[in-house]
Amino acid sequence: MIEIKDMSVHFKDTNIKALSEINLTLDRGEFVCVLGKSGAGKSTFIRTINGLQKPTTGTIFMDGVPISTMKEEEMRKVRREMGMIFQHFNLIPRLSVLQNVLTGTFGYRSSFKNLIGWFSSEEIANAKRVLGDVGLLDMAERRVETLSGGQKQRVGIARALLQQPRILLGDEPVASLDPGTSNHTFNILKEIHERLGLLTIINVHDIELAKRYATRILAFQNGELIYDGTAEDFNEQQYMNTYGSEFQRSTFSR
Amino acid sequence: MWFKKSNILTFTILVILLFISMRITEFDLSKFRDFRNMIDFLGQWFPMDFTQLPGMVQDALETLAMAFLGSFLGLLIALPLSFLAARNTAPFPAIYQFTRVSLSFVRSMPEIVIGLILLTTLGLGPFPAVIAIMFHNVGVFGKLISELIEAADPGPQEAMKAVGARTWVAHLFSILPQIWPNVLSQYFYRFEVAIRTSLILGFIGGGGIGQRLFTDFRTFQYSSVSLDVLVIMVMVILVDSLGSFIRNRVI
Repeated sequence: MIEIKDMSVHFKDTNIKALSEINLTLDRGEFVCVLGKSGAGKSTFIRTINGLQKPTTGTIFMDGVPISTMKEEEMRKVRREMGMIFQHFNLIPRLSVLQNVLTGTFGYRSSFKNLIGWFSSEEIANAKRVLGDVGLLDMAERRVETLSGGQKQRVGIARALLQQPRILLGDEPVASLDPGTSNHTFNILKEIHERLGLLTIINVHDIELAKRYATRILAFQNGELIYDGTAEDFNEQQYMNTYGSEFQRSTFSR
Repeated sequence: MWFKKSNILTFTILVILLFISMRITEFDLSKFRDFRNMIDFLGQWFPMDFTQLPGMVQDALETLAMAFLGSFLGLLIALPLSFLAARNTAPFPAIYQFTRVSLSFVRSMPEIVIGLILLTTLGLGPFPAVIAIMFHNVGVFGKLISELIEAADPGPQEAMKAVGARTWVAHLFSILPQIWPNVLSQYFYRFEVAIRTSLILGFIGGGGIGQRLFTDFRTFQYSSVSLDVLVIMVMVILVDSLGSFIRNRVI
């Protein structure tokens, strides 16, 4: 579904090689967790897939079509098929939960409809359905800033779902949530992933979450892909390679 | 903590500037020894003459209409311009620079000068005053709102880009809800300033209660002048409290 060929990302202003020579194929149905220290290139990797970051060299293909070289207007149409959730949720403040979810349709609607802010009853019904999927239907009229962190992230998931995505991207979606809420969020993501048959790619710091939910793990170090394989095969040695020697052994000894 | 070499220098410079400014402006408190004249003068203001009150209220409404129209049209024109004048939403850096410079040019022209120029084609009356207030406020709102846009949280903008929204739709919907309370509060402040400006513009024939005040003054109708001033004060206070009421409802 997604094929990455010889992709490198080089930040000119700081002279940092964020990603170098990545070659990967990611398929429908895979639940991919991306591991790595801060600054290892995880975030850049996710953001290159939906074009928020352009690769310096190399190409990304989606269903055989090169998307990384597309013009903005074409890329916009590709992005509609990729839902994205963020560490800080990136909801629009002062708007209601329902209004925030409805912004997930913006890629499909005419600019005029967006400008006057009119939504059809079908669009509103769809928004309420995805809010039901994440268990927030009774909060539809609440302002987003009155919600807890976990609830905010579920609004973010609902917004991404309303895009009817084929790919779901998560840039450290549980990094600001407590462990219980992180688990709950991952349960929701996994359920949606399986029901819709998505390709899901998520950055995560928590190795336990990654091993429990991922069907495939990617690990980055200094912009290089140092592990690509199953969650079962990701062992203590791999972990040490990814995070350095200062890590806790407890994760594996349990 | 305060006692540093650099502070002594700053202090000395400030004192020198104070003295020079007093010299230039003939600032001399001993001149107040003739304050009896002022009391005599103010004595002529009372009792107030209420016979002109209906006309004054009508003129006050005209002033309010001038100020509202001028500031509101200014806001409407400035709102889209400020997205071009903000670094994070301008389509090209050149447009950003151009809009910035134009807004600052518009802002630098005093309303009274614009009013005087417009008098030549539009004649006396409130219309040129409205245009003058509007013109100046485009410059002021453009600067204030573009700075609010630049300070807005970039997270929601990124999210809107990620759902596949067109860039300008993404900017509008992620930024406007964030800055709206601040825009309103700036608007009400500028509305208040526009009332004072329209008073001054009344002095050059711009109509409203400003013109009436000026006329009453020149014809020595001091018992009317006092009521004019009272009406103006009540008007400004009413607008101020309306502003804080609406602001509280929005936030």
